[in-house]
Amino acid sequence: MGAQDLAFYYLGFAMILSGLFTVFSRNPVHALLSLLVLVVHQAFMLYLLGSEFLSAVQIIVYAGAVVVLFLFVVYLINLQKEARFRVFVRRFSLGLIFFILFAFLFIKYFVLIFSMSTSIRTLLPIDPTSSQALKMMARYLFTEYLFQFELIGVILLVVVLGTVFLLRKAKEERLG
Amino acid sequence: MNVAVILIPVLPLIASLITLIFGKRYFKDKAHILPVLSLFGSFILSLLVLYDVIQGRTYNFDLYSWLVAGSLKVGIGFQVDPLSAMMCAMVTSLSFLIHVYSIGYMHGDPGYYRFFSYISLFTFSMLMLVLGNNLAQLFLGWELVGLCSYFLIGFWYEKKSASNAAIKAFVVNRVGDFGFALGIFMVFYYLGTLYYTEIFERLPAIKNAYIEILGYEVYVPFLIAFLLFCGAMGKSAQFPLHVWLPDAMEGPTPVSALIHAATMVTAGVFMVSRLSPLYVMSDEAMAMVAFVGAFTCFMAATIAPTQFDIKRVIAYSTLSQLGYMFMACGVGAFSAGMFHLFTHAYFKALLFLGAGSVIHAMHHAPDPNDIRYMGGLKKYMPITYATFLIASLSISGIPGLAGFFSKDEILAMAYFSPYPWGKAIWLIGLIVAGLTAFYTFRIFFKAFHGEFRGRSYLHGKDPHESPKVMTIPLIIISIGAIFSGWLGIPESLGGGANFQKFLEQVVYHHEVEITDHALEYGLMALSVVAGLIGIFFAYLVYVKNPRLETLFSSNFKKLYKFLYNKWYFDELYHYTFVLPTFFLARTFVNLIVDTFVIDHTVNGSAKVTTSFGGLIQRFHNGIINYYLWGIILGLILYFVVYYYLN
Amino acid sequence: MVDLNSYIYLSLILFMIGLFGFIFRRNLIILLACVEIMLNALIILFASISYFRKDATGYILVFFIIAMAAAEAAVGLTLAVALYKKLKKVYTEEINLFRG
Repeated sequence: MGAQDLAFYYLGFAMILSGLFTVFSRNPVHALLSLLVLVVHQAFMLYLLGSEFLSAVQIIVYAGAVVVLFLFVVYLINLQKEARFRVFVRRFSLGLIFFILFAFLFIKYFVLIFSMSTSIRTLLPIDPTSSQALKMMARYLFTEYLFQFELIGVILLVVVLGTVFLLRKAKEERLG
Repeated sequence: MNVAVILIPVLPLIASLITLIFGKRYFKDKAHILPVLSLFGSFILSLLVLYDVIQGRTYNFDLYSWLVAGSLKVGIGFQVDPLSAMMCAMVTSLSFLIHVYSIGYMHGDPGYYRFFSYISLFTFSMLMLVLGNNLAQLFLGWELVGLCSYFLIGFWYEKKSASNAAIKAFVVNRVGDFGFALGIFMVFYYLGTLYYTEIFERLPAIKNAYIEILGYEVYVPFLIAFLLFCGAMGKSAQFPLHVWLPDAMEGPTPVSALIHAATMVTAGVFMVSRLSPLYVMSDEAMAMVAFVGAFTCFMAATIAPTQFDIKRVIAYSTLSQLGYMFMACGVGAFSAGMFHLFTHAYFKALLFLGAGSVIHAMHHAPDPNDIRYMGGLKKYMPITYATFLIASLSISGIPGLAGFFSKDEILAMAYFSPYPWGKAIWLIGLIVAGLTAFYTFRIFFKAFHGEFRGRSYLHGKDPHESPKVMTIPLIIISIGAIFSGWLGIPESLGGGANFQKFLEQVVYHHEVEITDHALEYGLMALSVVAGLIGIFFAYLVYVKNPRLETLFSSNFKKLYKFLYNKWYFDELYHYTFVLPTFFLARTFVNLIVDTFVIDHTVNGSAKVTTSFGGLIQRFHNGIINYYLWGIILGLILYFVVYYYLN
Repeated sequence: MVDLNSYIYLSLILFMIGLFGFIFRRNLIILLACVEIMLNALIILFASISYFRKDATGYILVFFIIAMAAAEAAVGLTLAVALYKKLKKVYTEEINLFRG
C-alpha cells in the first residue's frame, strides 16, 4: 500500500464525510464550512491525480471564491435567526423511493459501462507525471480547445454583468 | 364515339355544378342557360348514339376503376345497347323539354338557380343509372336519383308538407334500397361479379342453387330477384312501397313530370328488364312481379277517381301505369313493358305539364291544384286544352295514339303468355283500362269543360294561357305522345314491331306466336271498348248530368271513404311503423342510450381528465424540489426504456 | 489496489450524495451548495480518467468545469438573493409563486 493509495483512502473518506455533513446539517453555515472542507480535500486529490495547476486553480476559484461567495450570501440574508426544524422537504419518503430507484439504475447501467471500457482512444496524449505535463496541457488548451477557452471568458463576463444587472435596485420605481 | 357516350351524362353534371356554385350570384334569372344548353347537347349526342346502335354497333367499356376490394372489381363503365340507348334518348329528350318548360313555370322563384341545378343533377344521375354496365353503377345512379328526388320534392322546403313529403319519399325508398343492396350482395356472392355481361354468362351456375333460410329451401335466383325487386318496389312506387308518390306532388310540377312520370319511377322497370335473364329463371319471381304490378295497378286506379287534386290523380295514374309495365314483365313480355314505359313517359309528362300549365293559371286560387275550382278552361287555354286532350286519349288507349299500341301490346302478351297467370293479368289490365279512361277524363272534363268555377278567387279576372316557353314543349311532347307508339305497331296491324324487335336483342322475350288473329283483334277491340266506356261514363257524370257526381259517394259511403283515404295505407304504416319507431326513439334511445350511457360517458371522461389533472396539480405547487423529482423520474424512465425494453 | 475503478466509485458516491441533498433540501442556498458537490464529483471523475488513460482531455475539462461551476454559482446565488429581496423567503416550500 503506497503513500498514494493511503492518501486516496483518506481523501476519499474525508470527502464523503464532509459531503454528508453538507447535505445533512441543519445550520447553513455548518453546511458551507463542510463544503469548504470538501473542496480543499478535492484540491489535494487533484494534486494526487497529477495536475498541480488544477489543484491550485481549485483552491483559488472554488475554495477562495465560490464558497466565500456562498458564505457572503448567507450572511447577507442573515439566515441564522431563521433556523427551521425541518431540514428536508415534505413527502420525503416518496422522493426517497424515486431516489433509490434512480440510484440503483444509474449505478447498474451507467458505471458498469464506464468501467468496462478499456479501449477509449487517447485523444490528447500527455504524461501527467512528467515535468512537461503543464506545458502540454497549456498547449492543448490554447490550440485544441481555444474556442471553448474564449467562450468561458465570455461566459464569465456575462455572469459579471448579469449579477450586477439582477441586483441593482429599481431606482426608477422609488423616484417615479 | 366513347367520348360522346361519356359526355351524355357529364354535360348535365357540369352544368349542374356550375349553376349550383355560381348560380345565386352570377346567373340569377338566367340560371337556366347552362342546364338547357347541356341537356340539348346530351340529347343530340344520345340521338347520335342511338343511330349507332340501330346500325348494330354496341359499346361496353369502363371509364375507370372505381371499387377494388378483394375480389370485387367494379368500375364506372358504360354499356350502350338498344335498351340503354333508347332510355337515354327518352330521358334526354324529355329532360330537355322540361328544362325549357321550367323556364316559364319557375319564373320568379327565389330558388330558380337551385331548381335547374337539381334537375340537371338528376338527369346526370338517371343517365348514369341507365348507361351503367354493372350493378354497382346502377345502384349509384339509383341512390343519386333518390337524393335528387328528395331535393326536388322538398324544393319549397319552408313548406312543412313539402319537406315531410321529401322525407317520406326518401325513407320509403330507403326501405326498398335495403333489399336492393342485399340483392346486389347476393349477386356478388353467388356470381362473383357485378358486370351485366358477366352475370348473364354465369347465370347457369346458379340454375339449381338453393339456400336455406330459417329452415326453408329458397331458390337462389328467386331470392335475388325478390331482393332486387324490393328496390324496384321502392323506386317505382309499387305496393307496398307506393305511399310516397302521391305526396311527392308537393314538388314543383316540372319535377313531377320529369321524375315521377318519365324517369326515376321507371328505373325499377328498367332494372327488371335489364336483368330479365335472371327473372325468367324463377317462375315465382315472375309471378311476384306480375301480381305486385297488377295489385298496384288496380289499387291506384280505384283511388284516382276520388281525388280532387289534379296532380294527385295523375300521380295515381302513374302508379297504375307502372303497374302495367310490371305486369308486362311478369308475363315475360319485357319489351312490351319497356314499350309502355317509353310511350307512357311522353303522355304522362304531357299530362303533368298540362296540369302544371293549368295550375300556373290558377295560382291565385286557395288551392290551385283543386279541380273543383277549375272548369271551362277550354276557351282560356286552348293549347293546354288540346295537348291535355291528346294525352288523355293516349292514356285511354284510343287507337292511333301511342298509348293504344303499348297498352294493347301488354294486354295481348298477357293473354297469350305461356305463364299460367297471363289471363288473370289480362283481365285486370282490361278492367283498369276502363277505369283509367274514366278518371283521366274526369279531370279533363272537370277542368276544361263547363263553367269556370274559380272566378271569385282570381279577382274576377280570366285565367290565361301559359307563356310560349311552356306551351311549345307541350306541343312537342304531344307529338311524342301520338307518334311514339307508332314505333312499335305490331305485325298484326301492319307494322314491323320495330321497337320490340329492337329491344329484344338484349331483353328477354318469350317466343310467342300469336296464331289466332281473330282473337287478337277481338281483344284489341275489347280494350278499345273499355276505354270508350270509361270516357263515356266520365262524360255522363261530369258533363251531362252533374248530379250523378255525388251518386257513388253518397250511396257507397264506406267504400267511398275507403277509396278516398287511399285504402288507409298511410294510416296503416303510421301505426305499425312510424309510431313504434318514434316511441322507440323517444324512450329507449333518447332516455336510456343517450342520457344514461352516452352522457355519462362523456361527462365521465371529462371528470376523469379533471381529476387526473387535479392529481397532477398537487405536484404543480411551485416547489422546486418536486420538479427535480420529476426530472429524476424522467431519468428513471429513460433508463428503464433504454435498457430493459431494448 | 487503487485504480481507476476506485476513483470512479468515489465519484459516483459523491455524486449520489450531492444529488440526494439537491432534491431534498429546503434551503435554496444549500441546494446550490449540493450542486457544487455534484460538480466536484465530476471533477474527480474526469481527472482520474485523464490520469489513468494518460489523456489530457480530462484535465482540460476539469479546468472548464471549475470555471463553469464558479459562473453558475455566481448566477444562482444572485438569483437567490434577488428572490429573497422580493419574497423575503429562502425556503423552497414557501416560494410558490408558480402555484397551480
